Amino acid sequence: MDVFGSFALILAFVCALYAFGGGIAAIITRHPLLIKSARQSGMATCGLIFVSTLSLVYLFFSDNYSVAYVVSHSNRDLSTFFKVAALWSGQEGSLLFWSFLLAIYVFSVLFTYRNKNGELMPYVGVILAGVQLFFLTISNFVASPFKVLAVAKASGAFDLVARADGNGLNPVLQYPEMVIHPPNLYSGYTGFTIPFAFALAALLARYPGEKWIHLTRKWTMIAWCFQSMGILLGAHWAYAVLGWGGYWGWDPVENASLLPWLTGTAFLHSVMMQEKRGMMKVWNVWLVFVTFMLCILGTLLTRSGVVSSVHAFAQSSIGNWFVGFLCIVLGVCLAAYFKNRDYLKSENQLDSLVSRESSFLFNNLVLLVACVAVLSGTLFPVFSEWFTGSRISVGAPFFNKVNIPLGLLLIFLTGVGPLLAWRKTSTESLLRNFKWPSIWGLLAGGTALVFGIREMFALVCLVLCAFVASTIVQEFYRGAKVVRIRSGASWLTSCVDLTLRNTRRYGGYIVHFGMVMIFIGLAGQAFNKEVEKELPIGSTVKIGNYDLLLQSMDQKQEKNYVADRMIVEVLKNDKPVMMLYPERRNFPTNQESGTMVAIYSTLREDLYVVYAGMNPQTGLPTVHAFINPLVKWVWWGGMVVVMGTIVALLPNRAALVVLAKSESPVSTPELSGMRPAQVTLREGHD
Amino acid sequence: MKNRKAKLGVLIFSALTVLAPHRALADQNDRAHQIGAKLKCMCGGCDQSAAKCYHVGGSYSGPCDTAKQEIKEIDAQIAQGKNDEQVLQAMIAEYGPLAYVEPPKSGFGLVAWLMPILYLVTGTGLVIVIMRRWRKRPAAMAGSPVAAAAGGGVPASVQVTPELLARARELARRETEE
Repeated sequence: MDVFGSFALILAFVCALYAFGGGIAAIITRHPLLIKSARQSGMATCGLIFVSTLSLVYLFFSDNYSVAYVVSHSNRDLSTFFKVAALWSGQEGSLLFWSFLLAIYVFSVLFTYRNKNGELMPYVGVILAGVQLFFLTISNFVASPFKVLAVAKASGAFDLVARADGNGLNPVLQYPEMVIHPPNLYSGYTGFTIPFAFALAALLARYPGEKWIHLTRKWTMIAWCFQSMGILLGAHWAYAVLGWGGYWGWDPVENASLLPWLTGTAFLHSVMMQEKRGMMKVWNVWLVFVTFMLCILGTLLTRSGVVSSVHAFAQSSIGNWFVGFLCIVLGVCLAAYFKNRDYLKSENQLDSLVSRESSFLFNNLVLLVACVAVLSGTLFPVFSEWFTGSRISVGAPFFNKVNIPLGLLLIFLTGVGPLLAWRKTSTESLLRNFKWPSIWGLLAGGTALVFGIREMFALVCLVLCAFVASTIVQEFYRGAKVVRIRSGASWLTSCVDLTLRNTRRYGGYIVHFGMVMIFIGLAGQAFNKEVEKELPIGSTVKIGNYDLLLQSMDQKQEKNYVADRMIVEVLKNDKPVMMLYPERRNFPTNQESGTMVAIYSTLREDLYVVYAGMNPQTGLPTVHAFINPLVKWVWWGGMVVVMGTIVALLPNRAALVVLAKSESPVSTPELSGMRPAQVTLREGHD
Repeated sequence: MKNRKAKLGVLIFSALTVLAPHRALADQNDRAHQIGAKLKCMCGGCDQSAAKCYHVGGSYSGPCDTAKQEIKEIDAQIAQGKNDEQVLQAMIAEYGPLAYVEPPKSGFGLVAWLMPILYLVTGTGLVIVIMRRWRKRPAAMAGSPVAAAAGGGVPASVQVTPELLARARELARRETEE
């Protein structure tokens, strides 16, 4: 099966090479058969990558310990569930997995548009094949997951060998989140290839710029949604597994996943400027280019070891390949832009400074500043080493100080933006839209002050969150009121009806509401507290209102590990609340151990208990406990963000077909210079 | 109606009461960990703080051994009756100025702090310039054909007039569906 997988991977490389070369020839000659064969070759590439990936999964399932990658990342006792995750637990497998996810996207695009967009698709096919070609080159010739174990004989020949068992999977990866976090994050990274390919193709094909936005909107949102889920699942994994009490440490690898998310978010907002007003075309094209390049840079940072990272399990010298690829991508983007930039001219003017357009500009500014600040902070230790010879550390406090004000500015704009009308907002409209949200914001701030909250950022965050939440509630209230008057339905039904009639707008509001919840959760970090203590059996440790009573210790034998457990009774205000079982797992196969945190989670706070190990001198177990307020809001907020994105992806209900029809003349050439159509210019609407 | 609003107000006020963490919590933070948060973990493999270092894939998952040792040292310093600043300085004396987890606000480290400010100022300036140009756009665009390569098989030397651009746009519209 290893030969089969390896052969499929080589064939995939050959097919991608044809899709790339044949595609370029097809663009030049415009020969229909050549176009078709290049497209089908692209599809075949995807099929072969599927086959190759499934072969590797089969090698894990069949415990084939003649393959080096399987030996390094699996063992016989590993559960089936984690044997799937072992696929992306190391360098070679995760790169193949990257190709696999990209292949799903590429196949979907090539198949969906096989009879559409005849002029544009050959360009898209070539760009996608180019990206696939790069990853297939790596998987075939640099980091092959199908290398077999062999011993050299005296004659110089090699004998294939097989081990009886593997080394096992890294213990910290043996958690359910690790089965779903990387696929989500990688789906985000790879997903941004699609809007990139369409944007570059549109530029190369000299398309004036609106169409690729329509074509790629849903692909961008899917990628963004996966990226968001991936980041949050990674944060949850770090929180639930690593036992340090936090979920975001500004580690370079974490930062690398945030960078394309920031530019992707900026893009999702600025496309509206292009769709509604025909503005920011150059900006949008470059935002997509940069987002894709940041995805590649993210991989470079993760894999190369150029910056120190706690994610030390996936480093190698493969980074040079990514630097080369990044340079090529940048070169192609620059060349295409300078050659055809005149097709990206804006069509409209800015009518007023107090308008949706301005809010989008500032939204993009803040997101981009945050992105560049995180990027330069991440790379600063490298710069400092180049310039001064010593590596200056840039840790979490720096990133917090820089990004908290930017985050607050962003959440403020989240509230303000949707309430401003396109083109110009009247003073009356400003007063009408902002009166109640401002009152609720101030009320929330007053309440927080009464309850003794003095931490400035947390206070401001709370005020802004209340402000933004009430702007969203107000928008739903106003819309539902109109629906209700007409239909007589209940408030809930009216809200659902309203949402389904304009999924993009109200889905967007739901996403914003999720972001508000996440920010409430982030504000809670200002009130974290922790205690670490050696605890004899029968004694207690106090943290906040909780007393943790160590009742006993025990040992649990599982198939793949032995767990030492603390049995801890939690008392709140002297009343028993629940039992917690924090444990340390020892994996005999690879002589490694890991924590299993016990968390008592409520909307108000998390009680987070870690068994931090046994002190060999005293023979006493150490408990490390944290109280982390409002953490649950982050996870629930994430779920709301995903829900909102799904809603925004749904097609609008029939009522909106009328609206869509009334919008359609806007795209005709005669009216393209007068894009601000009447239908789209209602105040406070998207 | 008024009554309903009052009820809503009480409801939200109660919700905030439940959610608002007490001030007292912030005061109880462990001093050693607070000081440790300002110092780097000196294991050499990361840029994390001594209070929050967590290595993935190491022999010990959770706070790393080097970081734990540093916290113990800080604890010992606190036990000697030193204040936070004295403890911090003692640790810096032992490990050197690079033990700060954030860049120093002097020398080359200052560059790190100035960069985000520079980005924000430059970005804001750019946005203002762009907004000004956009406000003036109609006058600037009128009758000023753009010199560039044209699409749809038009020779590269032809100027892209607004009409040609509109034609290209129409072509794009026809050639793409969805």
